[in-house]
Amino acid sequence: MALFERAFQNRELHDPGFFRAIFSNTWLAPLWLLARLYLGYQWLLAGSHKVWGEGRWIAVPGPDGLALKGFWERATAIPEQGRPPISFDWYRDFLTFMLDHGWYQWFSWVIALGEVAVGIALIVGAFAGIAALTGAFMNFNFLMAGSASINPLMFVLAMLVIFGWKTAGWIGLDRWLLPALGTPWQPGPVVAGLAERGRREAYAPGVRDRDRGAGPPVPRQV
Amino acid sequence: MNKIVLLLMGVAAWVAVAVAAVLITFNIGDKNQILMFLPILAVVVAAWAIGELVTERVFNRDEEGV
Repeated sequence: MALFERAFQNRELHDPGFFRAIFSNTWLAPLWLLARLYLGYQWLLAGSHKVWGEGRWIAVPGPDGLALKGFWERATAIPEQGRPPISFDWYRDFLTFMLDHGWYQWFSWVIALGEVAVGIALIVGAFAGIAALTGAFMNFNFLMAGSASINPLMFVLAMLVIFGWKTAGWIGLDRWLLPALGTPWQPGPVVAGLAERGRREAYAPGVRDRDRGAGPPVPRQV
Repeated sequence: MNKIVLLLMGVAAWVAVAVAAVLITFNIGDKNQILMFLPILAVVVAAWAIGELVTERVFNRDEEGV
């Protein structure tokens, strides 16, 4: 027991200075801007092929998602010779389940619009870390399905943007969104103000702030 | 200039970035990825500069009591 207590006692490990200089300091924000824009542009381009033009996945005559259905069928096929595209049986079973239930019809919308949304979020720098994480999750799934293409490069860039989530959107909307909204562990003025208003409302519903005066919250009359 | 107008200008700048990025990528994205990347970079930097200007005018002026 003493061994476990010693190993897992409340001890915070700090990042080294160079790590913080790269991922937490705004002096490298222009570099993260380039990485973020490249990622965003690639996602937007990939999404544009799925929502626009002749070969689009969605809003086509007939059932949607036939292109995705073809992709899943190729991915789940086990060839007579050589290795199958998917290495993990559980992932092949997962895709086969979605294929058998016809989920490609609505899932094609999720992928197409998700790629466009991630691309726009990365380009404008709105919640860049979350957008990069979502993009990395899509890269992961494409890689698991046996489609390499530029997914490995995008996955690595997304990981770097996730590490630098505080500064990746500095030359972008995160410059204003993050200080205003804050984080779950340190709410910004907007979230803190809403939480305070909700707390006051819970004590005295229907009483406006200007009617309440500057005194302490009025307990609810039961 | 009115603060509301300035704030709306800042929001409009970023909406314009999103619209420009979509239009550029959807219409001419496949032709030359490097050349298409540069205008997106330019509009992002321009919107950021507008945002900084709006922040300076709307918020910092209050702190300085001007």
